[in-house]
Amino acid sequence: MLKSKAQQPAVLGIFRTPETLLEAVREAREKGYRGLDAVSPYPVHGLPEALGLKVSWMPRVTKTFFFVGAGLGFYFEYWTMAVTWPINVAGKPFFSIPAFMPVTFECGILLTGVLTFLTLFAADRLRPNPGFKALDPRLTNDRFALLIPTGFEGPKPASQLLQEVGALEVHEIRA
Amino acid sequence: MSVEHPATTIERHPMALVEDPPLYRADLTLSQVTRDIVAPLDRRPNGWWWLAFFISVSLLGVGAVTVVWQLLQGLGILGLTWPTMWGTYITNFVFWIGIGHAGTLISAILFLFRQRWRTAINRAAEAMTIFAVMCAGLFPLLHVGRTLLAYWLIPYPNYRQLWVNFRSPLIWDVFAVSTYATISILFWYQGMVPDLATVRDHKQGKWAKRIYGIFAMNWRGTARDWNHYESAYGMLAAIATPLVLSVHSNVSMDFAVATAPGWHSTIFPPYFVAGAIFSGFAMVVTLMAIVRKVYNLEDYVTIDHMELMCKIILVTSLMVAYAYATEMFSAWYTSDIYERNRFYGVHFGLTRTFFTGPYAYAAWIMVACNCLIPQLFWFRKIRRSLPMMFLISLGVNLGMWFERYTIVVSSQARQFLPSSFGYFRPTRFDYAVLAGSFGLFFTLFLLFVRFVPVIAVAEVKAVLRQPVGEPAVTLEESHA
Repeated sequence: MLKSKAQQPAVLGIFRTPETLLEAVREAREKGYRGLDAVSPYPVHGLPEALGLKVSWMPRVTKTFFFVGAGLGFYFEYWTMAVTWPINVAGKPFFSIPAFMPVTFECGILLTGVLTFLTLFAADRLRPNPGFKALDPRLTNDRFALLIPTGFEGPKPASQLLQEVGALEVHEIRA
Repeated sequence: MSVEHPATTIERHPMALVEDPPLYRADLTLSQVTRDIVAPLDRRPNGWWWLAFFISVSLLGVGAVTVVWQLLQGLGILGLTWPTMWGTYITNFVFWIGIGHAGTLISAILFLFRQRWRTAINRAAEAMTIFAVMCAGLFPLLHVGRTLLAYWLIPYPNYRQLWVNFRSPLIWDVFAVSTYATISILFWYQGMVPDLATVRDHKQGKWAKRIYGIFAMNWRGTARDWNHYESAYGMLAAIATPLVLSVHSNVSMDFAVATAPGWHSTIFPPYFVAGAIFSGFAMVVTLMAIVRKVYNLEDYVTIDHMELMCKIILVTSLMVAYAYATEMFSAWYTSDIYERNRFYGVHFGLTRTFFTGPYAYAAWIMVACNCLIPQLFWFRKIRRSLPMMFLISLGVNLGMWFERYTIVVSSQARQFLPSSFGYFRPTRFDYAVLAGSFGLFFTLFLLFVRFVPVIAVAEVKAVLRQPVGEPAVTLEESHA
């Protein structure tokens, strides 16, 4: 399974079209296989649902980042302008809420953007990897793949299943 | 919701009655897309690229030398004379930051509106945004005069215990522009990660594989990865949308919050945003008309896509024309004689109006290039003619530079009393730095087309075999 750190035995079936991949995913899940993962050169519509993936939690953390960022920005403006060293500029109030809004907003956006980006890196475990070994170089080009982790029963049944649903090739790998 | 609707004979949504042409050629395959878009990265650049690169780097060199000279000699070598202390540097700043806006509009706003044709141009447009913001960001730093102390604009704990003044629009700008640059780069890079992985897996050379492997960030393209990726992309688009509208609004407030006649105007934020999108799309058309030709990408950036951009230019041209008309009207209708004097010049015994005074040439270039010439895009033939749209887009860029010039310069030259009237004349150093900024922009853009897939490969693949636009919604469905 790609998610876990230790390399586990799995069977990789390669498909030509996203439709056959989706078909294979449904078939495998019907047969009771769990912990499946699929690889595709672009996000395939309906694939997360077919795999039974949950809707990403990313939007919730993003919202939190925005309010934290905007709050920090606003508090910083209040503290510098009205608390630590209030300076009279053209008679404007020290705590001038409307004039603080643009920077409050920008701070919210800045923190949201940067942290969402870093969260994505953490969630997808992205890192610079000059020695990257692709499962198959065609999977970022024009092929689709289904990964079935194999347990005690060995790779045989999974390979057979993949062949039945029309995989072009089936490989036994450790992923 | 159960609403009885009598018009059951209408099968499709009224907006979907006209069949859209397909986005891409029907016989394109996935591997063909990879080959076509990644191929230019394998080839050595041709003579045209080297020629363009040579010219751009030369311009950049001229600009760099001038900037060093200016840092040594001071701002006096520019045309800055009292009362016009904001000259071409601020004009260039507003111009370049405006250019950037189309990129974010294409990548974020059109994404949220599910405009699938954006896939052909979003990568290049976002690159344009980043390079334009880089050019823009240089000018305020040079404009402050003591450039080595420009870091004083950032609030940091210092031994004087002083902070920046957060009530000033100039500080709003620092935050807006730096946030804009940061978010644009992150958004652009995130969109590029899967494509860099495609290049990494496509490249044969050991070093190329390693370098693209570093930037592709271990991307595997599993369904779990895509799941978070798409969600994060949507979130970045959602925050980039209000951001892009806020940035040029903030820029406009540098002027609108001041009391100078011609600047102190509530129409400025929307007027600036419309102008920014207008000029930015013109720059996208200029660039894409060349790139699609030189890189044989006519199957991806089709004439239909170019036509859509021309339509946006036409619409935003009308918005800009409306804003000019509103400015002229409110200057005529107002009881503020200084504002009226700025545009009609009828007070203080002078009769030099906006269109006949010393800056008349700039005003007429602005009206001709921004309001009149883009009207040619009402004709389908012209919208679909590359030479025509190329020329018109150059005109729009020229016109928008002069629009900013009239706003920044001529307003200051016509302040409250005749004793504060003046005339600004740019020197050759002003022009050299402007040329240098174009050099910087095109140098970066040429390096971009050399090393990075110019078109979002994964996004094009995702819409390759899907219907154009949203699926036609039947009335029954919409009321279900």
